[in-house]
Amino acid sequence: MPDEGWPADQELLRRHVAGDAEAFGELFRRHRDRLWAVALRTLCDPEEAADALQDAMVSAFRRAGDFRGESAVTTWLHRIVVNAALDRLRRRAARPALSAGDEQAFEALVAQDGDPARTSDTRLDVNAALRLLPPQQRAALVVVDMLGFSVADAAAILDTSPGTVKSRCARARARLLPHLAHLQGNRSDSQSVSPAQGGDT
Amino acid sequence: MTHLDTDVLAEFRAGLITGRRGARITAHLAGCDRCTALDDQLAGVSVLLASVPAPAMPDSVARRLDTVLASEVASRDDAERARGDRAAESPAPRRPGGNRGFRLLTLRVLAPAAAVVVLAAGGYGLSRLVGPGGQVTASSSAGSAARAAAGSAESSGHAYAPAAGPPAKGAVSRPQRITPRTIVVVTGHANLSRAGLAQQVDAALHAPASGTTQAPDQLRGCVLRLAGGHPLQRVESVRFEGRPATLVVARTGADDTAWIAAQDCSATNPHVLAVTSLLSGISGP
Repeated sequence: MPDEGWPADQELLRRHVAGDAEAFGELFRRHRDRLWAVALRTLCDPEEAADALQDAMVSAFRRAGDFRGESAVTTWLHRIVVNAALDRLRRRAARPALSAGDEQAFEALVAQDGDPARTSDTRLDVNAALRLLPPQQRAALVVVDMLGFSVADAAAILDTSPGTVKSRCARARARLLPHLAHLQGNRSDSQSVSPAQGGDT
Repeated sequence: MTHLDTDVLAEFRAGLITGRRGARITAHLAGCDRCTALDDQLAGVSVLLASVPAPAMPDSVARRLDTVLASEVASRDDAERARGDRAAESPAPRRPGGNRGFRLLTLRVLAPAAAVVVLAAGGYGLSRLVGPGGQVTASSSAGSAARAAAGSAESSGHAYAPAAGPPAKGAVSRPQRITPRTIVVVTGHANLSRAGLAQQVDAALHAPASGTTQAPDQLRGCVLRLAGGHPLQRVESVRFEGRPATLVVARTGADDTAWIAAQDCSATNPHVLAVTSLLSGISGP
């Protein structure tokens, strides 16, 4: 029985294109939690995230032959998911903010992992804070800070330049700081220093 | 120099401010506790975000994606087979990728060799083939073709598994075409769980069974939907994570696929609790 991670992603994709009925499923299952995370955090709505992930999965299944190996398979998969999520955000742009029902469902979903209370609390706050960001900034921050992709890979995923990724992440972090500073209390001895918001540049 | 703005510090940290301006910021940070604290907090944002574990995909979403994927796989196999038939019948060049599925409907109906493929539609129209009373409806030419093919192509009997006792080595590997008439369910005793499912299924397939029953209409619809026309290898009652479920194994290509169908699975509700592929050697000799 092969270990997880073998065969390599690219090999699984090659087998899929060659007609192997199981290869894509194995590849997708291997990455699906991370793909779910990026969809959920970008969309902040579990229903929409599930729809986007389904669209992305079908798209990747059908377009696997287009993969040219310029990036890692996982980068390619994330790119398709992020595109599907941002497409949905564009389509619902006219729609007002989430309803209370959506929010509860989201928090229930996010909280259901059964992690220790502190982590759970943190995540609720982080997720609430993420909603404050414009979608492009949110997607960049999720991919770089939460999923740990390099700026170069994030640029490939987000279909933009590394400079733009850095800029979006920087603005997003600055925007989130006042909302997340209290969560850093037990990380260091720094008390809640109020950010120098009023100063000049 | 006045204190640093959060945005400026964030850009500086991201490497977007260099040169003389960057040097000024570095110098200011060296002598300003307030801005150093702010800088620490900005670094803390990334640390905090990185510390949040990725939410696991909910089971409901995983099931839904598994079902959609199974349907995609079945559609593609269907397309490949029909394309193969077309290639055999005519020397027309094969169309690379892309639109290969669009002419299938005609082929399914017209080509006798592909008639069984109608049942392999992986969810498309299957509920029409299996009527509410469990009878195959002959309301479409596709349905008739499928029934005719199922009746004539069958030489390996109606049962999908040995009636009792441990299956002989290799017995489960004999491909058996779906007929819409009866599906035999082996009464099994396995209690399966998600981790290492493939090995557990392997063990279950080689464990003694205590009898068989005939699948009720709902289960038959479920099995036909999941197998998507692929040769059924085994249908067995099991428990999955403590709940009653049905193990469905079909030869879906070089390897077999095993689905764990929930109790409410039917032709119109392909509720799958888990799915795994069985590597060669499980059903092979």
